[in-house]
Amino acid sequence: MIDVKDLCKSFDNLHVLNGINEHIYKGEKVVIIGPSGSGKSTFLRCLNLMEKPTSGSICVEGEYITDRKANVNLIRRKMGMVFQHFNLFPHLTIKKNITLAPVKLGLMTKEEADAEAMRLLERVGLADKADAYPPQLSGGQKQRIAIVRALAMKPDVMLFDEPTSALDPEMVGEVLDLMKQLADDGMTMVVVTHEMGFAREVASRVMFMSDGQIVEQGPPDEFFANPKNPRLKDFLSKVL
Amino acid sequence: MDFFLGIWDAIDKALIRENRYEFYLSGIGNTLLISLFAVILGFLIGAFVAVVKQLCAGRRGIGWIAKICDLYVFVIRGTPVLVQLLLINAVLFNYRGANAIVAAVLCFGINSGAYVAEIVRAGIESIDKGQTEAGRSLGLGAGQTMWLIVLPQAIKNILPALGNEFIVLVKETSIAGYIAVTDITKAAQYVGSKTYDLITPLLIAAAFYLILVFVLTKLQKLLERRLGKSDRR
Repeated sequence: MIDVKDLCKSFDNLHVLNGINEHIYKGEKVVIIGPSGSGKSTFLRCLNLMEKPTSGSICVEGEYITDRKANVNLIRRKMGMVFQHFNLFPHLTIKKNITLAPVKLGLMTKEEADAEAMRLLERVGLADKADAYPPQLSGGQKQRIAIVRALAMKPDVMLFDEPTSALDPEMVGEVLDLMKQLADDGMTMVVVTHEMGFAREVASRVMFMSDGQIVEQGPPDEFFANPKNPRLKDFLSKVL
Repeated sequence: MDFFLGIWDAIDKALIRENRYEFYLSGIGNTLLISLFAVILGFLIGAFVAVVKQLCAGRRGIGWIAKICDLYVFVIRGTPVLVQLLLINAVLFNYRGANAIVAAVLCFGINSGAYVAEIVRAGIESIDKGQTEAGRSLGLGAGQTMWLIVLPQAIKNILPALGNEFIVLVKETSIAGYIAVTDITKAAQYVGSKTYDLITPLLIAAAFYLILVFVLTKLQKLLERRLGKSDRR
């Protein structure tokens, strides 16, 4: 589904990604962990070209998005993204936040989008907030809305960039629960996170990144029980 | 008593006798006309320049457009508005024979545009990059993201600065008399030259500007409250 070849990214003289080769299959739940500065967020952000790769190629569902002629906007419609800081649009109501993109891009009529938004809000238990504004919501609620906003575009894959890192501890659970539901529904997911519990429970594959490379990866049981790379061992001993 | 009678006589002479209020009314009409259209023109130019600059800067092939925007702001901010007014009037009058009010609207609009452009730029830059990223991640284009997500929030942030700019602009139109537009200031001067009393007519003109600015301030407050709706918790 997503094929990454020799992906490199550098900011001026700082090499953040050093030649990543990876394939993400449909329905996989890939969790990426690693110390800060290891390039995991940059890797994720390269997948929908939020960051422009310095070199290498990325192919999503048969289309080379790194090609200069590729229509980035069309590809991004199929790739939902959830940010650490939610990035809800504060000047729009919750419902408008969700329906804005589908309506403005001509994918749904306003009525269809409203109905879809209400259905999704119903599902995450926030239907009563449809006419509220983002500043009136708690962090956990905001992040659930951000997920719903991405889902309203009916994406094929969801990218999560540390979705719980900016939340109060008590609100982490509600967001992770929603992500688990999503995983159970068969959504393809790529998640950058520090939630080891989530990685263990939900991931079909866990990747460890260090110094811009994927150093070790595997199914979570094997990965956490039997880490081989010394840097991963060191990392796990600090976070577990 | 004599004192008040004196004041009344001055006002009577400056305003009522020989239907002199008609001068003020036509002056007020011209001032309002120039101010209104200059504010609209200034806002349109300013917003356009700021957005174009933001979308073009640093992009391969179209980066030079941003440079032109910079040049416009540099030249307009770097020269006196009176010189610009005389210059635009001379150009229009010599070659097109256009009327002076059009010249005034153009001049004040173009002048204000440069300041508005900088205000809008500050507003755009005050919006978190995450807003743009969120918009783009949903598949919206750069222009759509700017128009639907960044600008509405930016405008809210810069409303006080914009209000300030428009108030300055309205008062700046008082130099339109230099190109033979009878605005309220010019009308006051004219009445003064008839009655040999300049002070009363100028005070009347000043009072008019005060009222106009007062109304503008009220409008601005109203707009701020409306746009602040989403901030209410």
